[in-house]
Amino acid sequence: MECRHAPEVNGGVDRNLTVCKHYSLCKEKKETKDNVEAKEVSKVETAYSSILSELGEDVDREGLLRTPLRAAKAMQFLTKGYKETTQDVLNDAIFDENHEEIVIVKDIELFSLCEHHLVPFFGKAHIAYLPNKKVVGLSKLARIVEIYSRRLQVQERLTKQIASAISEALEPAGVAVVIEAAHMCMVMRGVQKINASTVTSVMLGKFHDDPTTRKEFLNLTMRK
Amino acid sequence: MEHSEPTEQADGGSALNGHFDRTGKRPVPGGSGCASAAASAGAPQPPRAEPGAPRPVMESWREERTRSVEDNQTSLPSLAAAYTTILRGLGEDPQRQGLLKTPWRAATAMQFFTKGYQEKIIDVLNDAIFDEDHDEMVIVKDIDMFSMCEHHLVPIFGRVHIGYLPNKRVLGLSKLARIVEIYSRRLQVQERLTKQIAVAITEALKPTGVGVVIEATHMCMVMRGVQKMNSKTVTSTMLGVFREDPKTRDEFLALIRS
Repeated sequence: MECRHAPEVNGGVDRNLTVCKHYSLCKEKKETKDNVEAKEVSKVETAYSSILSELGEDVDREGLLRTPLRAAKAMQFLTKGYKETTQDVLNDAIFDENHEEIVIVKDIELFSLCEHHLVPFFGKAHIAYLPNKKVVGLSKLARIVEIYSRRLQVQERLTKQIASAISEALEPAGVAVVIEAAHMCMVMRGVQKINASTVTSVMLGKFHDDPTTRKEFLNLTMRK
Repeated sequence: MEHSEPTEQADGGSALNGHFDRTGKRPVPGGSGCASAAASAGAPQPPRAEPGAPRPVMESWREERTRSVEDNQTSLPSLAAAYTTILRGLGEDPQRQGLLKTPWRAATAMQFFTKGYQEKIIDVLNDAIFDEDHDEMVIVKDIDMFSMCEHHLVPIFGRVHIGYLPNKRVLGLSKLARIVEIYSRRLQVQERLTKQIAVAITEALKPTGVGVVIEATHMCMVMRGVQKMNSKTVTSTMLGVFREDPKTRDEFLALIRS
């Protein structure tokens, strides 16, 4: 059973728990993580089977025989960010370093799912921060992007979540995150604009207050 | 509904994708659809004049039966319910503001991505075939294509290049792009998509030759699984003189590359 006493913003259930943390309050039965996952995959698989037949396809033809299972597992993978927390990823890799200049990791590939249409959007994230005596392992910035992008998302919220996560973990003098992405929900359907790309940004701390810092970041990052 | 061609068996018996409907009524969920005549094991056969005999490919595209707008409307609630189950199964809260109408939007989107099942080649082509005394290559290239991988239900997108050598009959150019749309807006495998486009043009125009090349990116390879961002898949089908004459084929390939 899922314990729903502590829903996240987008997410819902913390499935890392094997024991409900409100055990004394809710009498839900303990289940192993694997059992819960297997049940969920099975429900999603049945739903996909129903989708295929409602679309008018022949669910027994060779190419579609195992598609519900594959699609369910694919969807689970594409939303694996719900099971991961910034804590797990960052805890070891924060180092004391006497560096106060801008650190940028740019062109981080990003793949996410539009929460409105369940269709991918993908692009690049550029992250910068001004360390305040603490620096973070560079790949951890990319891992933070992964955690938040592998969810049902809205690009604005994704940008903000990444910026907030870095801000909370490092307490830097400033954080800037820019995401440029193409949304398949706009490209493949609806208005069908193939070359349109959406850019969102969040500037915190010095990047927000000081235009020169912001300009330096944008010059170093957005230059083609 | 497209019936299989005899050559499909040589391809390993893969059934054609299509809308399977016996009488124009909405198919009953759970596999009442007919199988291709290449006989996917166990699938029920539709009532036909010659049960068991595969239809010749030359006639198949004229007899497509399509999903209708009414079918779409009828299926929408079940599709939406399925998507709600999926959202819950992924651990999300379907009642939160951003997800409230997502099942309906996702269902409508999926119907759009499979709208190729609603359209018939014959409707698209009938008017736009013209007699023209032209026997040089005609190429329409860089046609943007969006499809859905039938294995993972994740998008495929890329470009299609089509060339043909007319044999007294030419086709309205946009109709080539429309043929691409009809076949790509389905649950597809890139190899089959390429062949279906080539065969449709062959059947409609009976040209001297047809060449179709598709280069596409498969999100199932990019976003998940092996996760190779820059990989592209290229497939081609060459029919008639494009297959037999290497010089014609080379000319076509050179022109689409430039």
